[in-house]
Amino acid sequence: MADLAQTATKALKEPAHHERLITGEPSFEQVTNAVSRVVESKTPKAWWVLFGISSSATLLLLVAIAYLFWEGIGIWGLNVPVAWGLAIVNLVFWIGIGHAGTLISAVLFLLRQRWRTSINRFAEAMTIFAVICALIFPAIHVGRIWVVYYIFPIPNQMGVWPNFRSPLLWDVFAFGTYFTVSLLFWYVGLIPDLATLRERATNRIKKIVYGVLSLGWYGGNKQWKHYEMAYLILAAIATPLVLSVHSIVSMDFAVSLLPGWHTTIFPPYFVAGAIFSGFAMVMTLAILARAAFGLKDIFNMRVLERMNLIMLVTGSMVGYAYAMEFFIAWYSGNEYEMFAFVNRAFGPYAWAYWIMISCNVIVPQFFWSKKLRTNIAFMFIASILINVGMWFERFVIVVTLSRDYLPSAWGYYTPTFWDIAILIGSFGLFFSLFLLFLRFLPMVAMSEVKGVLPQADPHFAGNKQAHSQAVS
Amino acid sequence: MQSLKISLKVKEQILSKENMKLDRNTYKFTDKGNLGNIALVVGIVGLAASAVGYIQDSHQFYFSYLVAFFFWISVALGALFFNLLHHLTRASWSTAIRKLTESMMSVIPFMFVLIIPVLLGMHELYHWTHEDVVATDLVLQQKAPYLNIPFFIIRVVFYFAVWSILTFALIKNSARQDIKHEDSILARMRKYSAPGMMLFAFTLTFASFDWLMSLEPHWFSTIFGVYIFCGVFISMLAFTIIMVRYQNGQGAFDGIVTVEHRHTLGKLLFAFTIMWAYMGFSQYLLIWYANLPEETFWYLQRWEGSWRTLSIILPIAHFGLPFVALLPQAAKRNGNWLLMMAFYMLLMRYMDLYWIAMPTHSPEGINYSWMDISTMAGIGGIFIWLFWRKYTSGAAVPVNDPGLKVSMEYVN
Amino acid sequence: MKLVKKIDRVILAEFGSPKELLKAAEKMRQEGYKEFDCHSPFHIHGMDAAMGLKRSPLGYIVFAFATMGLLGALGLQYWTSAVDYPLVISGKPFFSGPAFVPVVFALTILTAAITAVVGMIAINRLPRLRHPLFSSDRFGKFSDGSFFISVESSDKKYNEAHTAGFLKTIGGQNIEILKDE
Repeated sequence: MADLAQTATKALKEPAHHERLITGEPSFEQVTNAVSRVVESKTPKAWWVLFGISSSATLLLLVAIAYLFWEGIGIWGLNVPVAWGLAIVNLVFWIGIGHAGTLISAVLFLLRQRWRTSINRFAEAMTIFAVICALIFPAIHVGRIWVVYYIFPIPNQMGVWPNFRSPLLWDVFAFGTYFTVSLLFWYVGLIPDLATLRERATNRIKKIVYGVLSLGWYGGNKQWKHYEMAYLILAAIATPLVLSVHSIVSMDFAVSLLPGWHTTIFPPYFVAGAIFSGFAMVMTLAILARAAFGLKDIFNMRVLERMNLIMLVTGSMVGYAYAMEFFIAWYSGNEYEMFAFVNRAFGPYAWAYWIMISCNVIVPQFFWSKKLRTNIAFMFIASILINVGMWFERFVIVVTLSRDYLPSAWGYYTPTFWDIAILIGSFGLFFSLFLLFLRFLPMVAMSEVKGVLPQADPHFAGNKQAHSQAVS
Repeated sequence: MQSLKISLKVKEQILSKENMKLDRNTYKFTDKGNLGNIALVVGIVGLAASAVGYIQDSHQFYFSYLVAFFFWISVALGALFFNLLHHLTRASWSTAIRKLTESMMSVIPFMFVLIIPVLLGMHELYHWTHEDVVATDLVLQQKAPYLNIPFFIIRVVFYFAVWSILTFALIKNSARQDIKHEDSILARMRKYSAPGMMLFAFTLTFASFDWLMSLEPHWFSTIFGVYIFCGVFISMLAFTIIMVRYQNGQGAFDGIVTVEHRHTLGKLLFAFTIMWAYMGFSQYLLIWYANLPEETFWYLQRWEGSWRTLSIILPIAHFGLPFVALLPQAAKRNGNWLLMMAFYMLLMRYMDLYWIAMPTHSPEGINYSWMDISTMAGIGGIFIWLFWRKYTSGAAVPVNDPGLKVSMEYVN
Repeated sequence: MKLVKKIDRVILAEFGSPKELLKAAEKMRQEGYKEFDCHSPFHIHGMDAAMGLKRSPLGYIVFAFATMGLLGALGLQYWTSAVDYPLVISGKPFFSGPAFVPVVFALTILTAAITAVVGMIAINRLPRLRHPLFSSDRFGKFSDGSFFISVESSDKKYNEAHTAGFLKTIGGQNIEILKDE
């Protein structure tokens, strides 16, 4: 804990309000250049290599889905009682990843955590791609894909409406809203930066594309006024949305009667877990991008450290929820409930359970140490372990159902090749989309980063001379 | 305290305020309104009246007492959480009100004395203490390793030990800081806060299981601790808003604790009103949907007779109305409006606790007793007296805290 | 007001820093200019007050539409589940209040978000791909690190020589007069 004292001492020397969020004291122009350069420079070879790998994995996804549509979901390792299997595990995993982006862009905005400007664009993009990956799974799992429109309240020839009392239908609305709101939020944030790219565009095609996308933004304060209000409103409504989406996901399980699934803490517990895993994914990506594009001043240690602290907090919340579930399972006096939990910890899937506990509860506790939470190598490994752990959390919840009320139906769920192929494929799709984003859009919100630079404050005293000279 | 060296500019700033009502040397706040003495009288009268009530109807007394006790310890525990959070997040905005919230949590050790009637009344309050009932009830036998009288008392002692140690640790360092600032003092407070927060989460959860959930020993809900936590924090925020307004009303603290601080407290109150509703609705929806008799009976109890009316009013009054009333920015910045909402939310907290605890006492319907009022006044009076005595006995602002200047200049 | 306002001429002046821009905006307002705008790469704190702008009405618009979204979602679920084709599912009532909350919530948020974005774009009269400002070579820097004030010819006080002179006195540099091409 001595390091905590050190942090404190440092923080006291630089009061929170005056600390530098962006290190290296760049000028406005340097921010523009540093970020735009990534988009404008020639595509690096490494990008092609990575894109080649991830798009091959995407191809695997397409093949697996095509085969699935041809054969039906029998190609997966599903059977009653584990009727959802990896499809729902992956769905929950990917939707959860997205939550960090919304938390960073909305909740931290409302809390005036200005360090978020470094990572919000990046995290919002991640949200959108994660939600796209997530949405694949319920869509391909419906069986009769050609009548997938039944999930929407569209008048159809049967005269039947969707069942609004089903949590699976709530998912349709929750995910639809989540995807739309995330996309709008991201786009609104991009408008000023797209205008920057438009002004810097060197060829006509880029000029037209960025020009149309930026809607002819000219940065007038009369525009900014409404823009800021729209941004504030989006942040304010996206905040309860973060809570609601994963809560509704949790209800897919929790409204049932099944021991281990039906428990009232599921909604907040899922939300905490989602933010936890999402931050881990942002961390993994940020460390890679930082190394690849030399954005060390923007994705600086202060930002990374705070993300680690958020993982510590949410990881502890997840730990709290595990403890509550276990205690109440015993306290309920319900033998099925108790069996479900003992079976998780010591049954055939104990290996998965202990992976989950070590990755989700133990790993984040190392972030108490200042040394470890500012160590790039450690946090990179920890972020990957946390994502593994969070994937296994959903796996444990879903597959321990293989021992339910009816012992004659007990079995051991094993994913097939095609289950795994789709999981790998979804990672391929995620990274392909992310690489395209890095290539064509500014990965850091330039206008917001400029807004938190010291010289952006109209009461800023220093450096004025230099600016005036630059103009004339 | 006379030897205080005025080394920081901020002190000059505090003292230069024309309306400054704090003592020039000790930074003590002298209350013109005599709140402490009034509270003490109310408290003694309330407790005396409740004692009479105890002779009349001990069952009623114990339930009224439990609700009142939990209501007031919520304020103190909320303040403990607030301070832990303040140190952990290195918040700067709340430094100016830190002494106020520290004084609230300073009551915790005294609350250990006030819980004794609950322990004495266990037999009347908690069904699972009846050996003859447990003998015929398999579920209660199963829970007996946890729900038994010795272990219950051990846990009470443990909770109060944890809370008191944390309180002492923070207050002691705060007092040391008043004499001379050293960076290590704040660092030490932060060091306590980290494990303190973890301990707080678990102790509050289990305290709420013990004191409230086990009133219906068959019922269980994993979210219950979090639900109660939201209520605890609301109580503390509402109480803080009232006290901040009270001292600002006397012209003290101008330029130190401002509308900006009240605005932020208002925002937190608004946010946690939503959180409370979220937790409450999650619990209700899942139990309603699954429709398992071992869980639904708790809500069905609250659907009996006049409890039904209260069950319908609660979400509207505790969430719907304050949501609308606190939504606009102007509402959080208007002093009188926010004050009114703070009083209102305290009333709502009382209503929620009443709704949780009392159906066990009078299952047939609401049976409001004068003892509900006398116990609230009794414990409340003592609580406010103790809190106020602590607050007015030392520096009312952490003058040596380097965060104070930032806090004074804080804008939303 | 016409949907797309025709802007013939614009005077453009450049300023050195957010601080100078803020001061200049105050002077422009004190001088009585209304149809002027301050261009900056980011929103400058305090600029709304300096220019004398009112708070954006977007919040009220969003609130109105969100309320409609809420009622619409409730109506949709009520009508489809309890009126048009009532079905008993898992013993739940036709109109299941608690079970309808998630969809009501989601659709309320959805309408609010769409209204906020569409409303912002509409109030700002975007997309606008043609503007005299875009004919300036220097103006492109507005989104990089430069600060500008533009005065539109529709302003009552607009007088090419006089306005340009005034902009110069309040610290404007590189003054240009731009025409719609």
